[in-house]
Amino acid sequence: MVDLSIQVFGVDFQNPVLLASGTCGYGEEYADIIPVDELGGIVTKAVTPEPRAGNPPTRVSETPGGMINAIGLANVGLARFRREKLPWLRDNLSKARVLVNVAGWSVNDFVKVVAGLDDADGFLGYEVNVSCPNVEGGTMFGTDELSLAQLVRALRAITERPLVVKLTPNVADIGVFADICEENGADGLSTINTFPGMVIDIEARRPVIGNVTGGISGPAIRPMGVFATWKVASRVKLPVIGIGGICNARDAMEYMLAGASLVQIGTAMFVDPYTAPETIKGLHDICERQGVAQLSELVGALEA
Amino acid sequence: MRERVAEETYWLELTAPEIAAQAAPGQFVMVGFGASAWGIPFLPRPNSVAAVRGEHIGLLIRVYGAGSRRLTALKPGEEALVLGPLGTHFELNGARRILCVAGGVGLAPFLLLPAWPPLVSCGAEVRLLYGERQAAAVFDPGKLREISGLEAEIWTEDGSLGSHGRVTDGVDLNGVDLVLTCGPTPMLKAVRALAVEAGVACQLAVEEHMACGVGTCIGCAIETVDPETGEAGYSLVCSDGPVFPAERLRW
Ligand SMILES: Cc1cc2nc3c(=O)[nH]c(=O)nc-3n(C[C@H](O)[C@H](O)[C@H](O)COP(=O)(O)OP(=O)(O)OC[C@H]3O[C@@H](n4cnc5c(N)ncnc54)[C@H](O)[C@@H]3O)c2cc1C
Ligand SMILES: Cc1cc2nc3c(=O)[nH]c(=O)nc-3n(C[C@H](O)[C@H](O)[C@H](O)COP(=O)(O)O)c2cc1C
Ligand code: FES
Repeated sequence: MVDLSIQVFGVDFQNPVLLASGTCGYGEEYADIIPVDELGGIVTKAVTPEPRAGNPPTRVSETPGGMINAIGLANVGLARFRREKLPWLRDNLSKARVLVNVAGWSVNDFVKVVAGLDDADGFLGYEVNVSCPNVEGGTMFGTDELSLAQLVRALRAITERPLVVKLTPNVADIGVFADICEENGADGLSTINTFPGMVIDIEARRPVIGNVTGGISGPAIRPMGVFATWKVASRVKLPVIGIGGICNARDAMEYMLAGASLVQIGTAMFVDPYTAPETIKGLHDICERQGVAQLSELVGALEA
Repeated sequence: MRERVAEETYWLELTAPEIAAQAAPGQFVMVGFGASAWGIPFLPRPNSVAAVRGEHIGLLIRVYGAGSRRLTALKPGEEALVLGPLGTHFELNGARRILCVAGGVGLAPFLLLPAWPPLVSCGAEVRLLYGERQAAAVFDPGKLREISGLEAEIWTEDGSLGSHGRVTDGVDLNGVDLVLTCGPTPMLKAVRALAVEAGVACQLAVEEHMACGVGTCIGCAIETVDPETGEAGYSLVCSDGPVFPAERLRW
């Protein structure tokens, strides 16, 4: 018998496989398709203080080994999330852990969402999406050391729940940003969010994506995600969640060996919703074949 | 089964018993090759269910880019991943005389209509107008009859087969109480304008780029209005559609 469970943020995850933010809605959407409560957990679509309609179409398109998206953080907003989405998560997920992905354009936006949810039931903690522009600073939170420090400190001050910061790979040295999160009280790090990209329709001579640019995800970015995870995990003591292009158990295992305690699957769920359940089964099979009794022993077990 | 039915256009039959048992006209399936077999295509592609025969579903696919080329190259015995049936379907709402207007492979959902139990039981009369650029692109009328039992009134833009002109030139709404349409967006807009002007109920099956097909990626947004409040916003083609009543679309 292989034990897939792992202790992270002081709680037990039944296995390390979560669904990535923006790729599983609020969980409910997959309820009739896969056994959501058998997963390690899910990360919700970003929640912002007010509802957002999102970007004009076209919002998604295929790219080599993946896709481009510019959804524009379309979401139901804090109030409806708390009233309509959280109760489903609370009532239907007893084993899978829930992280709420939080987004905003000022420190105050993030603070509003966290303060507005903190006393509610149905989730474990937060994943902070810092790949958004800071309207006060003019740069992205995740690419500006000062705004990132300010944001993490502000959120740490108002919640005791697990606070995970989701880093953008769009920086010269992701290790520096990992340090900042650790120093300012974060409990964990997610690596990585999408890479900025662009696709052009040469007949129309227009960008394919309505928003002009978008984020690239899928297996095309996996080696970069593994690299970022390895770099961050070797630098800080915080648990790391590995994300980017995971399509099966082998891919998930690469991230775990690189130092990820948990992993998230995003784009591959669009290709096949069974990717997550099959990844869990596949991790079990790899451990069995390699004679590993406890999957958690392999976290960071890279020999280099 | 795979058969060439017109220029760059193929009829595929896939074994998919659960989908065959439920599919209704206007609904679609996502067809792909799994996450580990990535290459081109990576994402699955939406395609309308065009027929149900026992445990099989029929798809009518025109080669457009890399994804549709790969799908139309499926060989007998080869496996693909098929998710569905997805989305909304046409609603008859007690109509007696239905006019269907199809452009190109927008023909697909109408082939499923005559055998659909709600249509069979209500016995409404169905007239089908079907337009293509030229004769070579036209789905073989004999095969069309065999699959659907429908007799299509064919229009070609160059007059090389059937009537000469755009399919919208053939639209006559006299006595019609429901218009159903599927095809390229400019054609849909023209049909919608005619129906709205004549005050005839109209439903449109629309297209948008998709990733998940099930409402989780929020990627397939289309501009809509709430007919009651007049409020503008976005709806999802995969789960709020692909069939929308004319008054919902913000065109
Ligand atoms: C609900 C629905 C039903 C459809 N039914 C049929 C059908 O029965 N027969 C048929 O031949 N085609 C149908 N289509 C269109 C078909 O999905 C596209 O032609 C196909 O996705 C093009 O992919 P490609 O890889 O060949 O083209 P590429 O241009 O290489 O595709 C690049 C990307 O753009 C997307 N894309 C390009 N054109 C379209 C389009 N018109 N609609 C949606 N996404 C597009 C692709 O999915 C892909 O992500 C349908 C589309 C929708 C939304
Ligand atoms: C359609 C789509 C929507 C996304 N929305 C969010 C989001 O709201 N918040 C966020 O932090 N990340 C979002 N992401 C990024 C993913 O969570 C993930 O970090 C990224 O896609 C890389 O993983 P993948 O290759 O497995 O998809 C989104 C990705 C996609 C494809
Ligand atoms: S295709 Fe993902 S929401 Fe419609």
